[in-house]
Amino acid sequence: MNDILTASNLYKSFGQGAGKVEVLRGLDINVARGEFLAVMGPSGCGKSTLLHVLGLMTNHDEGSITFNGSDIPLAASARAEIRRKSIGFVFQRFNLISVLSAEDNVEISLKVRGATPKTPVNDLFEAMGIADVAARKPSQMSIGQQQRVAIIRALAHSPEILFADEPTGNLDSESSAALLQLLGIINRETGQTIVMITHSANAAAHADRIITMSDGKC
Amino acid sequence: MRSLPLANLLHHKVGSAFSAMGIGIGVCMMVTLGGLSRGIVYEIADRWEGVDADLIVYPRKVGESVTMLTGAGISDRYEEVLPQKYPGKITRITPVFLWQMRLAGQSQMVAGITNKDMDVITGGAKAVAGKNSFSPTIPWQQLMDRTEKSQRLAYVRIHGNEDDFVFDPQPHDLRKAGWLEMIIDERLASAGNYAPGDTVEAAGATWTIAGIVPAGVLSRVIIPRRTAQYLFGGSVEQSTILFIKLVSDEPPGPVARQLADDLQQQVVPLAAYREMLLKQFGVFFVYVDAVNTVAIIIAVLFIMVVLYTMVLQRSREIAILKSFGSTNRFIVTQVLTEAMILTVTGAIIGISLALLSGWLIGKFMPLMTVSITPQWMAAGLAAAVFGALISAIYPAWRATRVDMLGALTYE
Repeated sequence: MNDILTASNLYKSFGQGAGKVEVLRGLDINVARGEFLAVMGPSGCGKSTLLHVLGLMTNHDEGSITFNGSDIPLAASARAEIRRKSIGFVFQRFNLISVLSAEDNVEISLKVRGATPKTPVNDLFEAMGIADVAARKPSQMSIGQQQRVAIIRALAHSPEILFADEPTGNLDSESSAALLQLLGIINRETGQTIVMITHSANAAAHADRIITMSDGKC
Repeated sequence: MRSLPLANLLHHKVGSAFSAMGIGIGVCMMVTLGGLSRGIVYEIADRWEGVDADLIVYPRKVGESVTMLTGAGISDRYEEVLPQKYPGKITRITPVFLWQMRLAGQSQMVAGITNKDMDVITGGAKAVAGKNSFSPTIPWQQLMDRTEKSQRLAYVRIHGNEDDFVFDPQPHDLRKAGWLEMIIDERLASAGNYAPGDTVEAAGATWTIAGIVPAGVLSRVIIPRRTAQYLFGGSVEQSTILFIKLVSDEPPGPVARQLADDLQQQVVPLAAYREMLLKQFGVFFVYVDAVNTVAIIIAVLFIMVVLYTMVLQRSREIAILKSFGSTNRFIVTQVLTEAMILTVTGAIIGISLALLSGWLIGKFMPLMTVSITPQWMAAGLAAAVFGALISAIYPAWRATRVDMLGALTYE
């Protein structure tokens, strides 16, 4: 299968000396292009750390990661370049910029990335069913609307891979179901590669493949 | 799309307003103090340069204190002698007796001149109220002249000569005289709320305001020269300085040197007066500039604290930008842009406040001159922008060091 991302023998720890905590302990993982992968596991097993390492938001201590067949460089500027061009991220807490409108939250992401969306931003809001809140600030939107804005922002620059960290963690069951359905549609209709971290079996059921983490390994 | 720095500033309206106001007060202080200190001196220089003359003669013993000079020092006879001695070079001599008098709450320079020289020091300006000349027959002066003459004759009769004769008018002579005349400029008239015909107490005597001339003449108070000499100069026919008008094509420099050698007095071109004045006030300007520098340093530190606090408060926002893959340059640009918006807004507020201060000072303290020129405004803006750039460097650098994961995960 055509893997977009592979990681082997990953190690990641926090702290030093007696306080050192090893979170990833020789983890191997691969993500096929176009697949919707769910990573499950109990709290504290290292799911979020794995996502941050794979999303190039933090360095791993040991092991290797290849993206599109190339080793990921260690230089911060080169990793930022990959984040700009090829990665989209949806956070559990959405992380929208509170002083900007929904539309401007998407626009500033495009500006930072130097990207032009294939689909106009207005149309993306229309497609997500939240065109009416495009001019509102996050505090003036519902939680579900904020998460949709976060998804638009993560996808507007057409990333090669989308990472979603517990995207339904703050949503009620109805909104969760709608969001997971949406991610499934995006994956099927556009071939968008998605890696989703979740502790919910129901959420993971929407994915093509599920891997389970335990003690820093899959 | 609304820019992030602008959105941040508008979102924190009160904080932004206070920050801009803080910068504005610094700029206002700089522009107003600079304009006030220079304005007062430049206004004096402008008034002197407005005199229709080319050279100033003042006693050699005075040195460089010509700008503070008062009293008798140079004979009025030069008025007749010099044009005769230098017929092809000098056209007119104007002796001026300078003194100080307290009016409208502060000390004023007083110029004692004759009616015929009024056009020299007023530039021919007409009175805005009353008249721009003294009464041709001033009772007190006539009385003084008669009294001096009779006392002089009596002295000669007794002593055989007038070598040691001293004429000393007594207070009862002044009381007998009844009135003295002065002409003032319109700024003094405004400051003291004076009008022609009003009487004022100054220098131990009662004066009647004969007229008001436009601002910009040599001194704010003009009195008859002989009156000044009787009152403040022991009646001798000596003035403080001479203004010399040259034939139009005579170069002032060489003539000044020739006259200085001939008269054994100091002779300088009128054009050099401004430089002498600025030199005399040099230390004063250093103090003002030092205060301004402190104001700028405080403003810079203020901006730095504001921006540093801003960066600390917005670490999550900066982390979000970094999660997009933002370059350090983009983040630095955001901080600098915010600093610039704050600073330019503050500078506009500061310049507006300075203009308002200048207007208020002019209205309520008309004797003070605030010269808020475009150069001072540009200097205030430039100092603020430069200061903001300097003070934004550290906060901007700190912004690039924000722990992305920490800010996104734990805040």
